[in-house]
Amino acid sequence: MSKQIHLWAFLQGIGFFPTGWRHPRARPEGVFSMEYYARVAKMAEDACFDAIVFGDQLQSRGAGGRTPGRLAMPTLDPVSLLMAMAAVTERVGLVATVSTTYNTPEMLAERFAAMDRISGGRAGWNIVTTAHPDTAPNFGEAELPPKDQRYRNAVDVVAKACELWAAMDRAGPALPQGRPVLVQAGQSPEGRDFAARTAEAIFCPAANIEAGIDFRNDMRHRIAGVGGNPDGVRVMPGLSCVLGGTEEEARTNHAAILDMGDVPLAIEYLSESLCCDLTAYDPDAAIPVDDILAKTLLPPADVAKSVRPAAEKGTPLGDFAANFMRHPRGHNVFIGTGEQMAEMMIEWRDSGACDGFTLQPSYMPGGLEDFAEQVVPVLQKRGRLRTEYPGTTLRETLGLPARLKVEA
Amino acid sequence: MTRSFIVSACVTDADLAVPELARPVIAAAEAAGLDLLMLGRAGARPFDAQVLAAWAAPLTSRTAIVATVPASNAHPFHVARALSAVDFLADGRTGWSVIAEDAEPGAAADMVRAARALWDGWGADTLVIDKESGVYLNPDQVVRPNYRGPFFDTAGPVNAMRPLQGQPVLVLDEAAPIGIDDADVVLVDAPDAAAESARRLLKIAPGAEVDSAALAASFDTGEIDGVHFMLTESAAALPAAIAAIGALLADRPGTVPAITGTLRERLGLALPQTASTQAKGAFVPEYVA
Repeated sequence: MSKQIHLWAFLQGIGFFPTGWRHPRARPEGVFSMEYYARVAKMAEDACFDAIVFGDQLQSRGAGGRTPGRLAMPTLDPVSLLMAMAAVTERVGLVATVSTTYNTPEMLAERFAAMDRISGGRAGWNIVTTAHPDTAPNFGEAELPPKDQRYRNAVDVVAKACELWAAMDRAGPALPQGRPVLVQAGQSPEGRDFAARTAEAIFCPAANIEAGIDFRNDMRHRIAGVGGNPDGVRVMPGLSCVLGGTEEEARTNHAAILDMGDVPLAIEYLSESLCCDLTAYDPDAAIPVDDILAKTLLPPADVAKSVRPAAEKGTPLGDFAANFMRHPRGHNVFIGTGEQMAEMMIEWRDSGACDGFTLQPSYMPGGLEDFAEQVVPVLQKRGRLRTEYPGTTLRETLGLPARLKVEA
Repeated sequence: MTRSFIVSACVTDADLAVPELARPVIAAAEAAGLDLLMLGRAGARPFDAQVLAAWAAPLTSRTAIVATVPASNAHPFHVARALSAVDFLADGRTGWSVIAEDAEPGAAADMVRAARALWDGWGADTLVIDKESGVYLNPDQVVRPNYRGPFFDTAGPVNAMRPLQGQPVLVLDEAAPIGIDDADVVLVDAPDAAAESARRLLKIAPGAEVDSAALAASFDTGEIDGVHFMLTESAAALPAAIAAIGALLADRPGTVPAITGTLRERLGLALPQTASTQAKGAFVPEYVA
């Protein structure tokens, strides 16, 4: 049988592109409406996606205490959105991003036990340690704990949560999956080691097929190195797309999305990404590198790497910001026809660059609709994507044992 | 103006976390015309009621779900976000009931104040969402509450909107006080004249006889605004117990609360003054598929 492609739908917010909410086929009001979530959840389930995934942040958008006016926000609680979607679907998995740094094991265990039970075994936990410096004051702390400490803590929190789930499963009602599917997205060496020991599915950015192959090989090596089974872990790089009936039409559609950006939006987006409010600077003047490095809450060395080359070329702030916004978050963005996209996905899968993809629609719900209509049928016709779910739990959908054996 | 008579019940069986058992209970509450269905109560919280409230949102169109929220095992930043989302998903039919559980004295009141401060950090008219001009929201309407309490410090702004109701309806049990005196709904043990503006619901103990005439008299004198049934049945037996409440109250005194609008609007409840200078819940431009 040809290699099956797993598909996850990353549906946080209003889509991948910061400009996406302005698209005529975007419905930004929908993020506050049950009707919208019911519609997109059914769309993902009809297309046989393994799961719907929501990312999360524990801080408001913006930088330097200024709330942006042109970025789509806020971020509603992913657990609540996913559980409402659970009530109107039957098979699609529901993966919530939740922090180990700002939840206790007891809070996490109680929440995910309820999620797994009420969804009939469709819950997954994307384990994050929270990296944004603005988060700490929301939880009464001046600063985030250092990264190594966050990861050490995460290991303990996950282990304790697993113990609690085993006890809750015994006490009943049973947890349909034994425990939720554990998902991780760490990129750093600490993050990758943690994922190798813990995760049953892994997200990652992979801008091209070589990066995908390198990442998956590295993870499989790390998993085997800690005594795990690399075939029991799904590697799911992010993938966005802009489709068209022809390549040219797709390029036109892509340009249209980018053209919805203006300089004030680009500067708000850049400010957020650099953790430094740049909205008061002249967009036509040089990039204020010294101010940025002095004010940013991120490690200045990392920020310097992204701003210095443009600053040395004399690129004005506004141009730099506009260009920065055209390439969000280092993911693979496919531009072409549905047929070509299916071809690309099959090539990645057959080359060992991934087990499937985490689709990040360019804007919502139009981008998801286009993918479901133009790519899903091609993958199904080629025998690479299921046409019905194999069972009822997320574990079964992922090809993992339906229920984790609970230790006595 | 004729007052409306409010009918409420709480359920506590752990099996309500199983969808096959929970669905008939939600359906029975809707069919019986319950205004409030409270998940858990002080002293009995066998599931994460915030998760169940979100799940129940698309399954209800009239009954408001009230989630019990523990003061321990929860943080106001998470609580404020979860209940804000649920309130949007449920079209403004969300209640919450903070209970002390194993928390230290004062923690539950601190939870209430912190969550209110976070919700109040967002103005009612923050959202603009104008594709043409590219303006998504009005930043001047978002403030950082910088809440500092004896148990919880939370700076905000919270990355969740002000709820549709401004704040979900707060339901507290008189017998389990947490140090908050401006709840929206108070569950009382006996009819009694009260000065506070909260709606007062008389608790009916499990299996107790219901004296309709006495209820009507207490309602007419303004001692109570309705009833709250403490149901201890197993999940499987709950639909029948809830249907029996419906039958019992077919001739309830007063009027039936309106079945459209947010829960606050239906119960005629203003936002607590201590927490907010804003009189309204969030405005959201209409979603058109």
